[in-house]
Amino acid sequence: MTRITLRVCGASHLLPGAAAWARLEPRWALVFGDFADWPSAMMTAPADALLWVLTLEDVLTPESLQGLDEGALDDALAQLMAPLEARLSASTQPTVVAWTAWRPQSAIASARRLSSWSQAARRLETLLYRLAAQRPALLLIDLDAALAGDGLATAFDTRNLYAAGCRFSRKGLGRMVEAIDGVLQRITQAPKKVLVLDCDGVLWGDVVGEVGVGRIVLGGDGLGRAHRDVQRAAQRLGRAGTLLALASKNTAADVWEVFDRHPDMVLTRDDIVAWRIDWAEKAANLVDMAKDLDLGLESFVFLDDNPFEREKMRRALPEVTTLEVPADVTAWPSLIDGLNLFARFDATPEDAAKAQQYRNRAAFANARRGAADESSFLAGLDMRAVSVPLDATTLARAEQLAAKTNQFNLRTERHSAAELEAMAGSPAIVAFLTRLTDRFGDHGAVGLTIARIADDTAFLDTFLMSCRVLGRHLDAWMLQRLAVLLRDRGVQWLFAEFRDSGRNAVAANVLTAHGFARWSGPDGDRRRRAVADLSAIDGDLYVVDLEMLVVPHLDLFHAPAPQPTRSLTAAVS
Amino acid sequence: MPPRPSLRALLQQQFPKATIPSAGVLAVGSFPEWDSLGHFNYLMLVEETFDVRFSVEEMAELKGLDQIAAALAGRGVEAL
Repeated sequence: MTRITLRVCGASHLLPGAAAWARLEPRWALVFGDFADWPSAMMTAPADALLWVLTLEDVLTPESLQGLDEGALDDALAQLMAPLEARLSASTQPTVVAWTAWRPQSAIASARRLSSWSQAARRLETLLYRLAAQRPALLLIDLDAALAGDGLATAFDTRNLYAAGCRFSRKGLGRMVEAIDGVLQRITQAPKKVLVLDCDGVLWGDVVGEVGVGRIVLGGDGLGRAHRDVQRAAQRLGRAGTLLALASKNTAADVWEVFDRHPDMVLTRDDIVAWRIDWAEKAANLVDMAKDLDLGLESFVFLDDNPFEREKMRRALPEVTTLEVPADVTAWPSLIDGLNLFARFDATPEDAAKAQQYRNRAAFANARRGAADESSFLAGLDMRAVSVPLDATTLARAEQLAAKTNQFNLRTERHSAAELEAMAGSPAIVAFLTRLTDRFGDHGAVGLTIARIADDTAFLDTFLMSCRVLGRHLDAWMLQRLAVLLRDRGVQWLFAEFRDSGRNAVAANVLTAHGFARWSGPDGDRRRRAVADLSAIDGDLYVVDLEMLVVPHLDLFHAPAPQPTRSLTAAVS
Repeated sequence: MPPRPSLRALLQQQFPKATIPSAGVLAVGSFPEWDSLGHFNYLMLVEETFDVRFSVEEMAELKGLDQIAAALAGRGVEAL
């Protein structure tokens, strides 16, 4: 594994070589400069990531702040931050500032007025976050918050200060590096996406199947309050974009009865995206849920009160993060709140949209599992598909689909944006994206179809569909739409190729399932020659007569009036 | 409780890449990596391992393994 260079600097001595720093060494090549060389470190090595540990008391004395008005204080802090601003202007590499302004102060002296020291600390925080809003490379760690968990007095050590120039205690140094490690990890590692919760012993105390809904430990005071706060913490994660799931060895009706009837339940059915409540092994159930959500198991975090279940999960699915929790449930709410696993630097609208897509997908899988039969289930989806033109507004999504779609992809042509742009303007191309909505939500543009035309013959250059809408027969709708558009253009023969990429087996039978037949004509056939002119063919070639084409499953879709794409309209006229 | 590592084992833990002399008195400077900063870190590791705390004077005076062992013994801690 290639280690990235991390230049470390600070105003306090940071004790390079201390055991605490070993935590970073597997992933980062730590480079400590000379003591207190932070201003020059900011100016050099812009290609490296940088960590600045800012102990405010090492750069500003309380005496220097006495009598400063707001403007003078800002000037002093601006001077302090000038090297950092220079660094951020010169480098887009991550710059982490871990700062602490803690110093012992009299509670009495600050009982009626904010001390000048506290004013400086608050102003520094404001300026740092203002800078972070402008500079995406800047990552901030409020050490006083990170160290407070163990008590700030234990995080600092005057013995170390006077003996070695280091303000931190051994423990404080360890906690600081732990916080830095968490932030640095998020630079290279995506957050976890799913929190899988056990029910008995986690969401509530006792076993609902044995004591009944009325006697589980939930709400009120004591442990019941702790279990309720566990639910609140989980719900906060859920509302911030983490997907919540249940894996419980229980009778499903008992669990849902608690959700529906217990007055102190915080989580609702709507909070839960996926669940397996049965007597099967939880590892197998997590594998199933991962398939439903189309997520890798490395995106899952498992929380169970039973050490035996945790150990089984670790052995069966080491890629799942199994939380080690203390037996004392009262510690769990703050443990969940403090987890770095799901945290992200910024919550973007794309993240929220993505989370909603996973919810939709899980809801689809759950409904499908519970349906009496496949066809009535699909018929009840209220599916509405619509084609949208390949043009400047859809180019980026088309490129994304072409680049990322592996499973339902007939030829896995990775068209670039430039290629797609050229196609969008070509009269010899029919190209459109397909949007789908159903009762589980708006799935957005999930299909891309591109056909090349030469007189009465066309070749299906691209036919792909996002895996998140597989199983709905949207491919049938896309094919029918293409057939309509091609017939309008006087095309009778549609040729297509299945090119095996090793990952697109799900698309292997789509052609024969929709009326195509393996091409068996002579190479000299004029249509075959036309196809050869349109595209190089590596795989099996198929053909269908559009005048004879009858596409199945179209009754599953509402049938909006055909909407010619803008480029097609132009081409036809 | 697992047995505590010896002062020599802690020395190897603090300086994993160093070649530690197998005989003779071991003290700051016995090998290149054992400089004053390395020694401070080593003393903190000893403190953590044996759950003791040295004073600022001791941090300055305890230079060799024999002295450290004696300081630990003075606190009722036997260190090999």
